[in-house]
Amino acid sequence: MNLLIPLMVIVPILCALFLNLLHKKDRAIKTVTIILALALPALPLLANYGLHYFGGYEPLLQNPTLANNLPSFITGGALATFHPAITYSFQSAQQLFVFILGLVGLLALFTSVYETRRPSGVYAYMLFMGVAAMTAIILTDDIFNLYVFFEIAALATVGIVLVSNIKGNYETALKYMILGSVASPLLLLGIALLLGVTGNVNVTDIIYSIKTGAVDPQNPVLLLACGLIVFGWLYGSGLPPFHTIKSAIYSKALPSGSAMIQAFSVFTFIALGIIILRIFSYLPFSQWVILGVSLLAMILGITMAILQTDIKRMIGFLAVGELGYIGIGLGLGTTFGITAGLFQAVNEVIITALLFIGFGVVVYQTGISNTRKLGGLMVRNPWVALLVLLGGFAMAGVPPLNAFQSKLMLIQASIDAGFPELGIIMILLSIVTFMTFMKAFHTVYLRPKPADLEIKTETIPKATVISLVVLLVVCIIFGLFPQYVTSYLQPLATSLAGGVV
Amino acid sequence: MNLYDMIVKKIKDIQGADDGPVTNLSTTSMLTAEITLIASVLVALIMLRQVSTVLMIVAVLVVLVVFLTSMPIMSRLKKEQNDSLSSMMFYVIIAMTVVIALFYWGNLNV
Repeated sequence: MNLLIPLMVIVPILCALFLNLLHKKDRAIKTVTIILALALPALPLLANYGLHYFGGYEPLLQNPTLANNLPSFITGGALATFHPAITYSFQSAQQLFVFILGLVGLLALFTSVYETRRPSGVYAYMLFMGVAAMTAIILTDDIFNLYVFFEIAALATVGIVLVSNIKGNYETALKYMILGSVASPLLLLGIALLLGVTGNVNVTDIIYSIKTGAVDPQNPVLLLACGLIVFGWLYGSGLPPFHTIKSAIYSKALPSGSAMIQAFSVFTFIALGIIILRIFSYLPFSQWVILGVSLLAMILGITMAILQTDIKRMIGFLAVGELGYIGIGLGLGTTFGITAGLFQAVNEVIITALLFIGFGVVVYQTGISNTRKLGGLMVRNPWVALLVLLGGFAMAGVPPLNAFQSKLMLIQASIDAGFPELGIIMILLSIVTFMTFMKAFHTVYLRPKPADLEIKTETIPKATVISLVVLLVVCIIFGLFPQYVTSYLQPLATSLAGGVV
Repeated sequence: MNLYDMIVKKIKDIQGADDGPVTNLSTTSMLTAEITLIASVLVALIMLRQVSTVLMIVAVLVVLVVFLTSMPIMSRLKKEQNDSLSSMMFYVIIAMTVVIALFYWGNLNV
């Protein structure tokens, strides 16, 4: 059943192409999108764990039939261990990540086709392509293949913003592309230098070259490559100094689009973060850089969020701040810390999607996202308000919801690792996150309705409410049974902490 | 002039006439952000004890003095973190320089 591993990438691409062909056929798009989107969370559940080799064959060491016909200087040396094909690895952690990505993708597509009067095949194309790119980024063990899909995800992000029809979306998308045109080539240069030094783009082979001494670990070119890849990581995940443009991008997309873009950011953060940890964890600076950048993201993201008057921008900055928590887990470098960080990543994807879609209802009904002009919406949508409130509680880490468990684990991990200061900062910033959210909730739902606030659309699509309920149920299940989630993440965390991947 | 009045004045200076009046909400938000920023940075600096206790004490004292003399900081920080492409590009280049310097010279010479 390993054939399903490549299908997790191929199916969304085919769905995207097919839906693009159906452009302007509104009814067909609605039905087909929902049916096709169901495959996104289903495929990772059906697939078996294992490896898949694209465009080549498995290492000679694992293929005696092929190795028998080759000279001994090839089969007897390091060449026999190298991966000539693009290798996709599908294990328990990847299964969970791809499932969560597929679930958010399904709900985003489901919401978008019912919230839009004329569902767009182009918009669905962008969402599907983004999901395909992120799935490949999660699965691949080939850093150049990762870069290719990294670029596709960036283009899909820009596309999602361009088709949103929100004021200022073109300008923001252009700025994102300009900044990307600086950061992405530098990431590619880093990968090229890595290839130049090690002769490989397969991450496992690169690690093998460094560990066996085939490459000098202190080679200046290797160090420069590490710096450039870290810089690309900052851009891809929206860490400082890219947090401003990333939050702007979130605010200029439709709620379903914002939910997807933040999922892209989190999974890019995880995928590149894991690669940095795998290849460069021997460098003393790598842990400090990850911790420093994560702290900066937390502090800047959350302090900037509280100052925002635009709800979408506020959630965007909060999402950047939450990335910092994940980074702290990875930066601690212990099994428990990495597990907590990965768990926080899964939780953040779900919670932020819930909040974007939930507050998106306000924008859907009023066309306004400025909190100064909103108020009194609790009377109209008490159930949606309750769902959003619980989503906000989840983000702030209120028990028994999912982020409470992951944040508690992170605090415990930081104390265990000898960094209690990080625990104190995480608690402090969780309190401020709670306050930021309650401020927005009060201004939107609880205070009296401004006289000039006009409700343009009375009804809320049932699809939106269903999506919110599903996301909240996942938050509650993950909060009540965290061991189920962490059992999927622990093998990856153990191998990363032990440096054996 | 107390801190609250200073913050109100700074917000008025930063935001244009089009952004609406300075409300209690915006001022308290700024004040909260200010306190959060200062508290978080000072607690984070304590981690320098892992490198050197003396360095940690000096860094905390220096940063504390800088913060106290330049308050309110959040208003300046907000002004810097705007959507202008030039300012974003400026910080992108600064970040790139810091990251490369840390990895390249940091690992070779530390």
